[in-house]
Amino acid sequence: MFNIAPEYWNLLGQGVLMTLWLTFASGVLSLVLGILLGVMRSAPLGVVRSIAAGYTEFFRNIPLLTVLFFLYIYFGGQRAGIKIDPVWTAIIGLGFYTAAYVGEVIRSGLGTVSRGNIEAARSQGMSFMQSMRYVQLPQAVRAAIPPLGTLLIALLKNTSLATTITVGDLLFQAQFVTDRTFDPNVLLIAGAIYVSMTLPLGALVSVVERRWAIQR
Amino acid sequence: MVTRTETIRPGVNWWSILGVILRVLGLLLFIVLIPIAFNMEWRNFERIFEKFSSLRFLSLGALATIAVSLVAILASLPLATALALGRLSPFRFIRWIAIPYIEVIRALPLLLLIFYISLRFSDQLGVFARMGVGDTESYFGRAAQIILSQAGLTVMVALTLYTAAVNAELLRSGILSLDRGQMEAARSLGLTYWQTMRRVVLPQAFRRTLAPLIAQFTILVKDTSLGSIIGFIELQRSARILYENDYNPMEALYIVALIYFVLNYLLGLTSRFIERKGPSVELRVADF
Repeated sequence: MFNIAPEYWNLLGQGVLMTLWLTFASGVLSLVLGILLGVMRSAPLGVVRSIAAGYTEFFRNIPLLTVLFFLYIYFGGQRAGIKIDPVWTAIIGLGFYTAAYVGEVIRSGLGTVSRGNIEAARSQGMSFMQSMRYVQLPQAVRAAIPPLGTLLIALLKNTSLATTITVGDLLFQAQFVTDRTFDPNVLLIAGAIYVSMTLPLGALVSVVERRWAIQR
Repeated sequence: MVTRTETIRPGVNWWSILGVILRVLGLLLFIVLIPIAFNMEWRNFERIFEKFSSLRFLSLGALATIAVSLVAILASLPLATALALGRLSPFRFIRWIAIPYIEVIRALPLLLLIFYISLRFSDQLGVFARMGVGDTESYFGRAAQIILSQAGLTVMVALTLYTAAVNAELLRSGILSLDRGQMEAARSLGLTYWQTMRRVVLPQAFRRTLAPLIAQFTILVKDTSLGSIIGFIELQRSARILYENDYNPMEALYIVALIYFVLNYLLGLTSRFIERKGPSVELRVADF
């Protein structure tokens, strides 16, 4: 079952690296955007809140594939004015899409911060942003770490959709090798590689969850 | 701790209505801003709506998306229940089947599962296509042909297997969230294991997990779009066929996104209704 030529193993290795890069880059992007969204959703200004809510609502209800195709066509054609290669297009698409979910997690993390904390910070003369930065966000992010880990695993699986916009990630390479060798088992190998990436990550998340749990 | 005194007063809560209006406005702002930000052209939107054949084709795609989603939702529920019970089973043997299934399927990207199934079981899944179900003339004949095509069945099977694994975990956490005393009380009253499960445990577990289950079904509806890659002519694929003809990809994809949005929003509304009643298991998004 595992007797495929060495050069194909090489391709799969490249695919793994690309998958990890996509996960990392879009993970960072979505974390930044997600924290922004989470803060916006608890802003004192109603307009800001509703813009962030609109973003979240929109991206949570449309398929990632549509987002990726849309951006692929936009950044690949003449419409955008600039050309962005598929890898970065995938990173941008994954990042903006995942940000909606990260934002929700951060928001519920902010919800766990007790009101007394916020009131104390504000009554000490801190502005909204100061209280957010020094009091609320540090607690919120800590509370959000286990669900963020779950999102990271899902993100890793979702990077496989970049295959459809010609990004050479693991699934793309596995398909390429399958087309060359007519051997469906290559997909099983790719599956085993995916499992060996996501399962340890899942175990790590549950360890972190137990370690970092906030005692109340 | 009660931070605000809550008084029951008859009448309209204007603040919550204002909140809803702001939410809708934010959403509309978003929906209007995207076409402007991406330089879309009104002419290209018109191109989709001016031809009856285009609309018919798109509606066939939407119908295929809805049908496959419904089948997968209905088929995944019993399988998920069986897997959840299997994972909690007192028999080691059954656990050894349920646990690896749940863990491995959940750890795989759905797209890989779809590729594998379509490659490995192409013969078995082409059964209706070979039988010549449906026709190309009538609306519903064509719909049946699309839905029961090899690609359509592949998506149905893949989504069922995948969603069952994810929902099994949800249901399991729902069952575990119940007080142990319930099970013990039911058993000590003389109910058998199955009676307890059917009459006492499962109904409560379902009620508690309904909101996350429906959230997962939203994800299922979104994931039907993956079928477009293996040639299943659902919403996204039909839009693609249209825009390759009319050269309006961005606008067509945007319309598709809005249709998905409406479908999922309606699905989400049901969860909002149910959520109000009774306690719910904490939702942790497992995938999206």
